[in-house]
Amino acid sequence: MLHGYGGRIVRVDLTSGLIRFEKTDPELVLKAIGGRGLNSWRLHDELNREADPLSPENMLLIGIGPLTGTLFSTSAYMTISGKSPLTGILGDSAAGGHFGPELKQAGIDQIVITGRSPRPCFLDIIDGEVNIRDASSLWGLDIFQTTAALRNALRDNRVQVAAIGPAGENLVKYATVACNNSRMCGRTGMGCLFGSKHLKAVAVRGTRPVSVADPDRFLELCQEFDRRIMAHPEYDRRKALGSTLLMKALNGLGILPTDHFQRGIAEYVDRVSGERLAEIYKVKNKSCFNCNIHCSRYYVTEDDESEGPEFETLCSYSSRIGNDDLRFALRMASYLNRMGVDSLSSGETIGWAMECVQRGLLTKEDLGGLDFTWGNRETIGKIVPMIVHREGIGDAFAEGTRSLAHRFGRGTQEYAFHVKGLDMICGDPRGLKAFGLTYAIASRGADHLRAEPFFELTNRYEESVKRFGTRDAADRLSDNGKAVLVEYTERQALLTDCLTMCKNVGLSMDILDFEFASRLLTAGTGLDFTPERIDEALRGIIDADRRLNIALGVNSSQDTLPRRFTHEPLPEGASAGQVVPVREMVKDYYRLRGWDEEGRPPA
Amino acid sequence: MLNLDPAKCSGCRRCEVHCSFFHSGKVGRSAGRIKVVKIEDRGLDYPVVCQGCRERYCAECPEDALQIGSLGGVHVDPELCTGCGTCETLCPVGAIEVLEECAVVCDLCGGDPRCVRACTMGALTFEPGERDVVSLSAFHDGSEGLSPEEKRVRFALRSFENLRKSWLSARGA
Repeated sequence: MLHGYGGRIVRVDLTSGLIRFEKTDPELVLKAIGGRGLNSWRLHDELNREADPLSPENMLLIGIGPLTGTLFSTSAYMTISGKSPLTGILGDSAAGGHFGPELKQAGIDQIVITGRSPRPCFLDIIDGEVNIRDASSLWGLDIFQTTAALRNALRDNRVQVAAIGPAGENLVKYATVACNNSRMCGRTGMGCLFGSKHLKAVAVRGTRPVSVADPDRFLELCQEFDRRIMAHPEYDRRKALGSTLLMKALNGLGILPTDHFQRGIAEYVDRVSGERLAEIYKVKNKSCFNCNIHCSRYYVTEDDESEGPEFETLCSYSSRIGNDDLRFALRMASYLNRMGVDSLSSGETIGWAMECVQRGLLTKEDLGGLDFTWGNRETIGKIVPMIVHREGIGDAFAEGTRSLAHRFGRGTQEYAFHVKGLDMICGDPRGLKAFGLTYAIASRGADHLRAEPFFELTNRYEESVKRFGTRDAADRLSDNGKAVLVEYTERQALLTDCLTMCKNVGLSMDILDFEFASRLLTAGTGLDFTPERIDEALRGIIDADRRLNIALGVNSSQDTLPRRFTHEPLPEGASAGQVVPVREMVKDYYRLRGWDEEGRPPA
Repeated sequence: MLNLDPAKCSGCRRCEVHCSFFHSGKVGRSAGRIKVVKIEDRGLDYPVVCQGCRERYCAECPEDALQIGSLGGVHVDPELCTGCGTCETLCPVGAIEVLEECAVVCDLCGGDPRCVRACTMGALTFEPGERDVVSLSAFHDGSEGLSPEEKRVRFALRSFENLRKSWLSARGA
């Protein structure tokens, strides 16, 4: 028998109501590992390339890693994949919390959902039993209410829920799916995909403890891994602030998106920083399943309370759109979580509108009479609910920035900051060259998590020479050595995604290497996961993703960045004068990846 | 006994995970003797475990399968236990449950509780000298007919009340 893995794949067709189980195939997992890799191969092998993302034909996959739900800490994520409603290419997004381990304890490695339910429904999973149930009474509820209502209806507080809010129901293209209310599958519109299938939620209960192949060896390895985490120089800081530590850190590097990337410094950063948030509003730490960093936080303000926010949300609703009011940013963060809207994509639509107004490209009249001046809280507070409910101008905003700018034209496209339709994250690539390359080549669009080359921020020059043959890979401002860095960290990032583990640990803290993963996977699953085999699997998945994306219309001309980042130097701060020479880096990357000059992998 | 500071608990469930692995070699909530109740929209994370209560409701075992150890932990004799569920019904806080026809409850790991070792928040502590100090009579009333999970939720909600009040009052809410 397979250890570590749940052992089964469940296929659910929401049109016919047919539910079918398959055994997890050991041959498949040796090349897919799990999580994102498992989802990617499924899409590669089974997705109809012509399928409209919102059609019943599109696939909705939920995959978890081979060691999720075991003693191996920080691997509690689950990954949702499908053809993205936002970008039209490969879409996927992962979230932590407690859903993934519960699914594993129900004995399931992957849920494959197709079709469209005739009426709102939710999946009710208890161990080997999967039922499609009516969700008419849940339709319209926000995510927090949905979780509570499902636990109440099923009379079991242990039920783990992945749910969408009204934004997903209304097919907002960048709607999210949440686990434990606030752990978000935020990117590429997987919540919209749920909505298109009339799927409100997946509720899961698992009562089967997860075994590992060699418990003694596995325990040793997990203890070693935990020691590496606890001994990490950034441990205390990450525990105290989580990703919000990046507000001040990026500001110091001159790359904190401010007024929609026109500047890299917000002079008011101390008023909206992670430190400030912790000092005034944080009441305690929060954590994903079996994590020893506890980087998430619970906060209580005078008028709100919630878990979070992460850096990307905090920045998207503060400096990126010129807002210096922390309490307001927190209120927006919890509203976005309740409604199920991606903070990055929604924040980009707002930032785009503000910059277009500043430049005289759009007027108040163009934008439904709303005043899009920087940091206008009244406007921000109005436009987001309009997006959620697709009211007025919010309907156009709900399509995403690429589509929105295309609709207006008049030069506004130049200020729509996306790659392949996915809005940019909050880190100005002009002062982070390897991140710039990552946004350009990432298989789901402008995204850092596909390679998270945090190494370039570390100044670990000796290690850089050893690993990458040049000290420059550890120098964030150098263009040199970045393709070789990204080629490596893209595989490392994929490995963490296949294990559905946390990128902070796998990459930013640089704790997971292939050799250690090999020992863990072998002791955990009993399969012969040699480092070579893992590497081969990772390269295979990256190529499969690229082949899928090419079939979905991606070509090398899209492996680039918005013009601002390649042509307009940052005006001030520690990255002043910098741009990203992305073309040359992309070419180097193709070569190192073994792709041809047009970015095509070998057949 | 095991003590909890809920203000420090992040809800990671490492206590559950390590408890389960130590006792069964596998990881699963049902095999853990400590179980974390989570109510996300109140910020509640609360591990519920045997309180070593003064009343020892569970000890009314019809098979005499339960013994109280020197540290105050409960020891189940798997030869005697028939899995009848009397203890599960009697415990007012859902700290003992039948799994695969045998009662499962905290035995304090022989004085080195793995949950305490696993807790990197310092939320759980072990006081070997303290035993039979907690009274659960207030929870006994009204616990009839509730499932173990429902009893845990009830216990956690009530025990968490003061902490939550302190959070809200600090913000003037």
